[in-house]
Amino acid sequence: MNFTRRSVTAGLGFSMAMPAILRRARGQSAPLRIGMVLPVTGPAADSGKYALTGAKIALDRVNKAGGILSRQVELATEDDQTTNPGAVLAFSKLAAQPDIVAFLGSIRSTQNHAMAPDILKTAKPVCFGGTDPTLTKLGNPWLFRFRPNDSYSGRVIASYGAETLGKKSWAVVHSTDAFGTGGSKALTEALGKAGANVAIDQGYPNQSQDFTPVVLAIKSSGAEIIGSYFTFDNDLAIFARQLRQLGVTIPWVGSASIVVAGAVKLAGPALYGTYGVADYAVDSSPEAKEFARLYGAVSNIPPDNYGSWTYDAIGVLCAAIAKAGDTDPDKIRAAILSTKGYKGAEGEYNFDQFGDGLHGYNIVRNEKGSIVFDKHIEFTD
Amino acid sequence: MGNVLQLLFTGLGIGAVYALVALGFVLIFRATSVVNFAQGEFSMVAAYLMVVFAVDLGWPYWLSFLLAIGGMALLGAIFNLGVYYPLRNRSFLPVIISTIGASIFLSNTVLALYGPQPQVLPGWFDAPGVQLGPVYLDSQYLLIIAVTIVLVAFQYWFFEHTLLGKKLQATSQDKEMAALLGIPVATMIMITFVYSAVLGGIAGILVAPVLFVSIQMGSTIALKAFAATIIGGFGDVAGAIIGGLALGIIETFGAAYISVPFKDAFAFLVLILFLAFRPQGLFGERVAEKA
Repeated sequence: MNFTRRSVTAGLGFSMAMPAILRRARGQSAPLRIGMVLPVTGPAADSGKYALTGAKIALDRVNKAGGILSRQVELATEDDQTTNPGAVLAFSKLAAQPDIVAFLGSIRSTQNHAMAPDILKTAKPVCFGGTDPTLTKLGNPWLFRFRPNDSYSGRVIASYGAETLGKKSWAVVHSTDAFGTGGSKALTEALGKAGANVAIDQGYPNQSQDFTPVVLAIKSSGAEIIGSYFTFDNDLAIFARQLRQLGVTIPWVGSASIVVAGAVKLAGPALYGTYGVADYAVDSSPEAKEFARLYGAVSNIPPDNYGSWTYDAIGVLCAAIAKAGDTDPDKIRAAILSTKGYKGAEGEYNFDQFGDGLHGYNIVRNEKGSIVFDKHIEFTD
Repeated sequence: MGNVLQLLFTGLGIGAVYALVALGFVLIFRATSVVNFAQGEFSMVAAYLMVVFAVDLGWPYWLSFLLAIGGMALLGAIFNLGVYYPLRNRSFLPVIISTIGASIFLSNTVLALYGPQPQVLPGWFDAPGVQLGPVYLDSQYLLIIAVTIVLVAFQYWFFEHTLLGKKLQATSQDKEMAALLGIPVATMIMITFVYSAVLGGIAGILVAPVLFVSIQMGSTIALKAFAATIIGGFGDVAGAIIGGLALGIIETFGAAYISVPFKDAFAFLVLILFLAFRPQGLFGERVAEKA
């Protein structure tokens, strides 16, 4: 065999290029990875389990249909420990993995606020479930919301309580975190527009063991109705029990946390007859029913918004990556923003320029422990 | 007036739980001179044991209670042998770190075994409570207050009128002198850990129907109980009781008449004031170094 200068140069060039070629070939067949920040430990660990279930159901559907860009899709998860520092650490661990193309953030607004600077630096799409309206107005182009924000929930709570139930004097009870304060602000604003007044505004710290002072204050205020934004199921359940024990029987319209499976189970009869604005309601659409069927096949706990938003987020994200035809973050971002008319478990997704996908809420009521769909209110402004 | 009485009742109920857990802190501190940061997790483990026996297995409540308390006694003994005993001759710092490690281990073990969903534990009584004039008396809070009174009385009798109690006191006051007098110090410390685990367990079982059973229930209570221990005077049994009750009342009235969002801050504000102006607490003795 003769070694010419040309053949040696060609051989060297080929051997140098080979690893890159192999890496590219392997990259094309390797699973497409989506990072997910979720609570595995801490007070919201139960909701993390439901969120993971929802995401896995959606992934299973995608993968059974052949995956995206001829690649299977898999999740990489990190525990946020239900804390802001935990969420930041979890996100940075995921962001350090270059093969992750997009992320699922938190359902808790306060944690999304904490992660937002790192999300901006990472410059990849993050789907989240926190409902503080300001999150999509931070000027961070990588945040995409998969639940209706609290400017809608506030308007729906106010409209239902003030107009449908005819109650004008309100007690607003909310947690003092970003979600609770954002929600109470939106509700107070909406009540003003609906011609109702806030008789008492009571913030409380998360993980309170006792709500007697709050209940007595509501009782003394003469409020005709309660509007609430609770962050954790156990807080809501303790409040509900003490409310009934101390003889407060006025109507109660709460944010979505009032109808989640955990709160309904913990509070039991104390929540009977209450109303909630829920992004997910089984009877609200055929897609919601389909999600309930799939969820019921893998879990003995009824589905709620903890699982439905991650289910929809994976669905929209995968559809967007397929539409983009590439995993380039800018192309995925553009594809998510152009998503219109996607029918998910939570409703129809029509993304606006800020990254908000949903623009309406369902009104549901607790009838002896069953969550019954009443109506859907969609906003166009 | 009705509101004041209602707040007082609730404050005493919450305070009694802090007092029970604080008592566990004090007993172990007196016997070993270290703070057991897993005391709150004892409450959580006992509550989960009750859920397993009374709810999942459907066994009678009294039997479930006895089994749960038996389980806690066993856990206290294992805790002593595994967490304290190997480090007994080291300074207090490794032991404290060891108890923090044990606390994380217990939380994560229960999380792995039982899952993250909070659980409901029914109360002892079918009736949720009674209305007495303007005040609603929650039956579980009534029970908590009653059990605290009984346990305080038992503790007084046990430590002041039994030989074993006096041996325990002697061990807590001066281990070397107790050993010279023939008191088996290691056994006394073992008994202290068992009793503290049982006390923490009783607190957890009593409070579970009110606060629900969750992984973090112990740490939430323990933080306040720790503050109560310092307010009462670290190492003083009466101080732990008074400190716990005072803390429950202060945070309830503070929330009602000043600010609900700052409810937790009141407890810790009082703690800071004590640390600044009376570090020995309500009943603690001032310790000074001779020149």
